[in-house]
Amino acid sequence: MPKFLRNLFVFILIIIFVVAFSSSYASLNIDNLAYVLAIGIDTSDENELEVTFEFSTTTAASESGSTEKAKPVINSVKASSLTNAINLMNSYMGKEINMSHCKVIIFSEEFAYQGITDEIYTLTNDTQVRPSAKIIVSKCDAKYYIEQTQAELENSIYKYYEVLTKSSKYTGYIPNSTIGNFFNSSNCKSCQPFAILGGINQSNSQSDSSPTAEQDYSIKANESSIEGKNGTENIGVAVFKNDQLVGELNALETICFLTIENQLDRFLISVPDPVNSGKYLDIYLAPYNYSQIKVDTSTSSPYIKVKLTFSGRIASMSEDSSYLTPKVLDSISESCNHYLESALSSFLYKTSREYNSDINGFGLDALSNFFTVDDVYNYHWLDNYRNAFFDVDIDTKVRSSMLVTET
Amino acid sequence: MSSSKISTLDAIMLVLTIVVTHTILSLPRNILVSTDSASILNIIYVGIIVIFIGYFIYRLLKTFPSADIIDISEYLGGGLLKTIIGIIFIAYFIITSSILLRNFCESIKIIYYPMTNIIYIVLLFVVAICAANRLDFSASLKTNALIIPLVLGSIIFLFFSNMNQFTPQRMFPIFGKGLLDTFILGLTNLASFGGIVFLYFLPPLLNKPEDMKKITFISIGISAIYLVLCVATLLFMFSFFLDTNEITPLYNATRYIEFGNFFQRLESVFLLIWILAFACYLSIISKFSMRIFQKITNIENKKALIDIFGLLIFGISIFPKNYAVSNMFETKIYPNLVIGIVFVLSISILILANLRKKKQNNNGKENSNA
Repeated sequence: MPKFLRNLFVFILIIIFVVAFSSSYASLNIDNLAYVLAIGIDTSDENELEVTFEFSTTTAASESGSTEKAKPVINSVKASSLTNAINLMNSYMGKEINMSHCKVIIFSEEFAYQGITDEIYTLTNDTQVRPSAKIIVSKCDAKYYIEQTQAELENSIYKYYEVLTKSSKYTGYIPNSTIGNFFNSSNCKSCQPFAILGGINQSNSQSDSSPTAEQDYSIKANESSIEGKNGTENIGVAVFKNDQLVGELNALETICFLTIENQLDRFLISVPDPVNSGKYLDIYLAPYNYSQIKVDTSTSSPYIKVKLTFSGRIASMSEDSSYLTPKVLDSISESCNHYLESALSSFLYKTSREYNSDINGFGLDALSNFFTVDDVYNYHWLDNYRNAFFDVDIDTKVRSSMLVTET
Repeated sequence: MSSSKISTLDAIMLVLTIVVTHTILSLPRNILVSTDSASILNIIYVGIIVIFIGYFIYRLLKTFPSADIIDISEYLGGGLLKTIIGIIFIAYFIITSSILLRNFCESIKIIYYPMTNIIYIVLLFVVAICAANRLDFSASLKTNALIIPLVLGSIIFLFFSNMNQFTPQRMFPIFGKGLLDTFILGLTNLASFGGIVFLYFLPPLLNKPEDMKKITFISIGISAIYLVLCVATLLFMFSFFLDTNEITPLYNATRYIEFGNFFQRLESVFLLIWILAFACYLSIISKFSMRIFQKITNIENKKALIDIFGLLIFGISIFPKNYAVSNMFETKIYPNLVIGIVFVLSISILILANLRKKKQNNNGKENSNA
């Protein structure tokens, strides 16, 4: 081929590719996109959804160089489906909605009771939605939840959503529920999905009487006494059976759930003081080993044995405290064991008897008891979970207090 | 002539090319669907069988040093059989690679180029392979020898970086759908080792023909380990691939990789590596097809064939009406083609040729004794 013709051919090819790919480039250009940070899905009249979008805006910079908090834009739309809602919002915004930076997906409690499969499948089908986007079930309307959420310490709401569950590693109050895990669990034949329980910070001050340790740990979202600028709070677990919300777990139950899941670095609990009756000791516990789970499926009532080990340090101090005596430390350890065994048993029977939802995925541990998939199906794990019996074994070793050992 | 000969490493990477490219798309899911939780056990079992088959192929090829399957066909059935076998292999290479290209381009379109017509994405690959095929044969092989280790490394990285997402209990129940499905019906997963097709063409190309045995064992061994890693990643991470079909299962796994808030969204890097691997694969496949075509037609000028084979790949790639058709070919027809052509037809030819050779040798000995 003559050189001129070859060059002409190459030139024409380049032109073809530039034209062909420019439409994709233009559609993904940042100027043509509206980035969604959070999506809220509520029920509406006549089988419609009300979808709320929280968009990011650029941070305004003042002349002095300091940055002001960028106020996110919140818009909502009613439509028959999520994709139609997105389409309508595209039209309204004049830009294409892009969900590659969507950090949280909020479902109202009312909506979650009806089932969220279609929305989860639709979002999973979207290449832009990250599997790490968090799933929250809000005890109020999702729209109201988004409106009330404010970043107090961060300049951007995006950063707040990103660190939303970070504190759970040491509080154990929020599960790390993502759309990836939710979709995975909702398709699992041996486990069930769960989500973060969110709500409005109503500043329940419990003014009638001074709060007890039990009350501190029985709170859920919507029930805490926190007062702050951020109008929302996330405490607890929303328990699902298949795709429908069936119940909620409070703070202590969430701790129990996360310890079995091995998702905690440490956590704080208040146990009865064995030395001073009527008083409580605050103790930091850290899992010592991974949780050991054995499941016996020889009968139609699964027998589940859970063994957890913890090492602890006493956090609370008062006058006349003496934590250098082995006998005292042993008795505190024993108190922790009793307290946690009771709490864990109560939590496990609640998920089994009350919710019939294996959110801990004990069914996965039972799989090794079977030889074939047919054997597993014939056992009907998800139905039989309601008949399960639990044996909780806790071994806590409280080492000492922290800096001060005796007063 | 030494420039057209290939080293032992290049030959190993050549065999791995087909396994690697098919694994990027639906191959791991096909294995999971056919054998469920016993997929890892099945791949190990099938891998051992393929090692024996590979050794058998090596022994059969040893009788015909410096001859490939086309030459052996000619020896067995003359020019007619040579032409028939040549056309079968050309059709096998071109059709399977074209449909695979179509499926891969569908994935790229969905992920990155939603507004671009699939024809232009396919065309981009075809132009790339036409340009690459104008270079020497060894140039493609050397590039392949660079890219394939990168893909292998990426899969190892994918496996270890996703370990925090793993639920190893999903490898139970150990026999999956049952002993029959795992060990008898699961033999269809022999198709996963389709890369051994290149073993039939290697003898005349090798720099060191004495390394053929080593090449056979190492390439099959690495293929098996690679497949186990891919299948284990999907099996341990996801519960939904048995019921839900995703276009690129491994791409889905790459989206879960996160190291803190900074290192996120690494899937683009994986896709870049896989695109390079695909370009290498297509270049090698078309070069082998041209080589066979040259052998059966005695055409001397290879350059005239480059664009024709490029257009052939392009035409077949855009032929399926939609993704459902091309996916059906990859999941239902391709495994049967591999078993039929690579394992049954080719081995039959080698066995018959060996028998003929043995008979000729015996006749020769009898004549000399007489």
